[in-house]
Amino acid sequence: MTRSGVLTVWMRQTITTARLRLVAQIGAALVALAGCGHYRTDRSPATIQVDIETSPTSTDPRFATDAISSRINELIFDSLVKTDRNGQFVGHLAERIERPSPTRIVFHLKHGVRFSDGRELTARDVIFTYDSILAPESMSAKRAGIEELKSIDAPDSYTVVMTTALPYAPALEMATEGIVPAGTPLPAKGTAAAPIGSGPFQMVGYARDEAARLERNPYYPYPSGAPRSILFKIVPDPTVRALELAEGVCDFSGNNIEYDVLPWLAAHQFLKVSKTPGTTYKYLSFNFRDPRLRDLRVRRAIAYAIDRNTIVNTILRGAGRVATGMLSPENWAYEGNVTTYTYDPAKARQLLEEAGYTADRSGLRGLRFEYKTTPEGARLGEVFQAMLQRVGIELTLRTLDFATYYADIQAGSFDLTSLQWVGINDPNSYYMVFDSHKTPPHGENRGYYSNPAMDRLVEAGMRTVDPEARKVIYAQVQQLAAEELPYVSLWWVDNVAVMNRRLVGFDAYPNGSFRSLATVTLSPLGSEPPD
Amino acid sequence: MKNYLVRRLLALVPVALGVATLTFAIIHLVPGDPVVAMLGENAAPVDIVGMRRQLGLDRPLLEQYAAYLGGLAVGDLGESISYRKPVSRLIAERFPATIELAAAGMLVAVLLAFPLGIIAGSNPGGAGDLGAMGFAIVGISIPHIYLGPLLMILFSLDLRWLPLTGRGGLAHLVLPALTLGTALAAILARMLRQSLIRVRESDYMRTALSKGLSARSALVRHGLKNALTSVVTIIGLQMGALLSGTLITEIIFSWPGIGRLLISAIGARDYPVVEGCVLTFAITYVIVNMATDLLYAIVDPRVRIS
Repeated sequence: MTRSGVLTVWMRQTITTARLRLVAQIGAALVALAGCGHYRTDRSPATIQVDIETSPTSTDPRFATDAISSRINELIFDSLVKTDRNGQFVGHLAERIERPSPTRIVFHLKHGVRFSDGRELTARDVIFTYDSILAPESMSAKRAGIEELKSIDAPDSYTVVMTTALPYAPALEMATEGIVPAGTPLPAKGTAAAPIGSGPFQMVGYARDEAARLERNPYYPYPSGAPRSILFKIVPDPTVRALELAEGVCDFSGNNIEYDVLPWLAAHQFLKVSKTPGTTYKYLSFNFRDPRLRDLRVRRAIAYAIDRNTIVNTILRGAGRVATGMLSPENWAYEGNVTTYTYDPAKARQLLEEAGYTADRSGLRGLRFEYKTTPEGARLGEVFQAMLQRVGIELTLRTLDFATYYADIQAGSFDLTSLQWVGINDPNSYYMVFDSHKTPPHGENRGYYSNPAMDRLVEAGMRTVDPEARKVIYAQVQQLAAEELPYVSLWWVDNVAVMNRRLVGFDAYPNGSFRSLATVTLSPLGSEPPD
Repeated sequence: MKNYLVRRLLALVPVALGVATLTFAIIHLVPGDPVVAMLGENAAPVDIVGMRRQLGLDRPLLEQYAAYLGGLAVGDLGESISYRKPVSRLIAERFPATIELAAAGMLVAVLLAFPLGIIAGSNPGGAGDLGAMGFAIVGISIPHIYLGPLLMILFSLDLRWLPLTGRGGLAHLVLPALTLGTALAAILARMLRQSLIRVRESDYMRTALSKGLSARSALVRHGLKNALTSVVTIIGLQMGALLSGTLITEIIFSWPGIGRLLISAIGARDYPVVEGCVLTFAITYVIVNMATDLLYAIVDPRVRIS
């Protein structure tokens, strides 16, 4: 018998049934030691878990500008006004709002609103909040948003008066800042404590990159059966967020689940997938410093070459609506009767011919553009690349990490790119993105689009206080933008929320707000996946 | 031995200097602005300038580099731009989680690799060898980002034995450690197999068998110990791969370690945190390899540490 034969015999002899049983017993013991065995999360039934993709950048409403922070802060801090479903501002802390002149707004505060430590919220807290944002040492990113504010005063404990130097139509947008108690220090070095607010919840714990825990503000009434606390867990991987929903660990995920897994999640009886019209606007942006892209015929050719319906139905799995402009149909200033560009590659080729870009034998026209994107946007870039190639335009994709990409876009170092605007409320956003004076770093006109007619309109829209007159102005803005194509409007992204059916009464807002998590109630039914 | 240790520890200084310099250069050369990342696009230009001044980012790069090295010399890794905390504190908070994960991954790798390598090396070409090497190929081929969710589906969703994510008790550690350790197990198993095959052909093994030792005894008492030398080397060298594997594994399992801290710091261009994390990884790698060298002396008495 050879040595290897000896070893083989030994292996055969040793792996007996008895030994296998022993191995199984050791395995079972290890599993028991690890605390496994039908694992269940130990959180309280009155706690709901919401998975979010990134940490909020700030737990202080005076500094937070990112979407995640804003959505969490909205549950903790009250503001003078809030937006309704149509993007209209309505009183929140203010029970009554007066506009005695185009430059003055008077807010009459509700009585009896209390912070989570029991103190009553008064005009003094409002003034303090705005003063601390405006203080030079704060270096808050929010200062730019309230730069039109000339003064803010409190004639008495329940009245706040905002004054602007010039008539400023979107002035109410400045009244959406979350209010903190007077005396709240600026975020100090090394402290992670969140200020308290007067909203439905208070933050009781926050570990960056891990989780934020919210508990009820004892002075804020809530319906019986409503969750007493919310655990915002930071789960960066989209697949894992889907798995947590499927396991029943996570109760709610809003706008952060990949479209491909939605049908799989929808097949789980205890989960509900809700798709509602959203206001997030996806667009394709051009760099107007490139003379080829300054040619309207080229921009229109690109608009005609992109089959947006197919993209919405395939990549987005139907979770979007083909857009006509930045404002969605839910917005009070929306104008749908504008120039549109339905998919027409023949028309696109014709426009390119007219612009002098004739096709060679391979069908290409010597038009090559660089499309910059992030890893998450690469798939869409490939689709654009294929669609534009059909009309003879070559697109070179450059996929960059977000920080590099963002720096390049800010510096105007791109030919084409696609981004989205989240949370568009007031149509004054057109001023920020299309006015020729608002190029970086003064604004978000990153494509350096410049048209005196557009400048006149958006500046008039900003200074016209009468809503009806504004609506007329913004109808013209929307038509001009559709005609001139500083952006190709792609789609408005639906709000897609996946939630456990034990959450009853969730009311989706077009801007993706988490606001109604404060008013949902918990049903014992459908909370657990079947064993 | 003492001299050896001192010498190796002193060698850490140029390594740390080199890593610090490279990391500083790379992170400052790539586009992206930590101040814009922190304040947002809408921040007033005056605030961007003010914040840049406050953070010292307006100073010439060489001056910033000198300040960074000066801080390093006294053990100060600087302050995080986005967390507003000392980097050393951030790393101290997160490093235990990464070490826990890496150690568990290594344990899984060794526990899987040894039986597989022995089975394969004992009978090359046999069914056991084919099975073990089949596992090795699969183990090496499956990336962490795919294996992690697969294990989650099996053990968390289907069997409901283990939690999906997070750090807690031992139960939370099992899946991340399996994800991290599987590829290394595959490499180690292949190495052990090759070593065992080589050892089986050596004179001392023939002598052992001719003395009347059973194949099993000869393998366990003489073969395995000699085969381990090369495996120990690989364990040390693979520590780098294991540490880099924690980056992905920590993201998948929402594990609050230094890898996740590094990824989020790169995104925010938080220069001090990136520099501190990379330096920590590099020093850990060097120390683990030093420990590996010391382990040789235990595994192979012919090796003398001097």
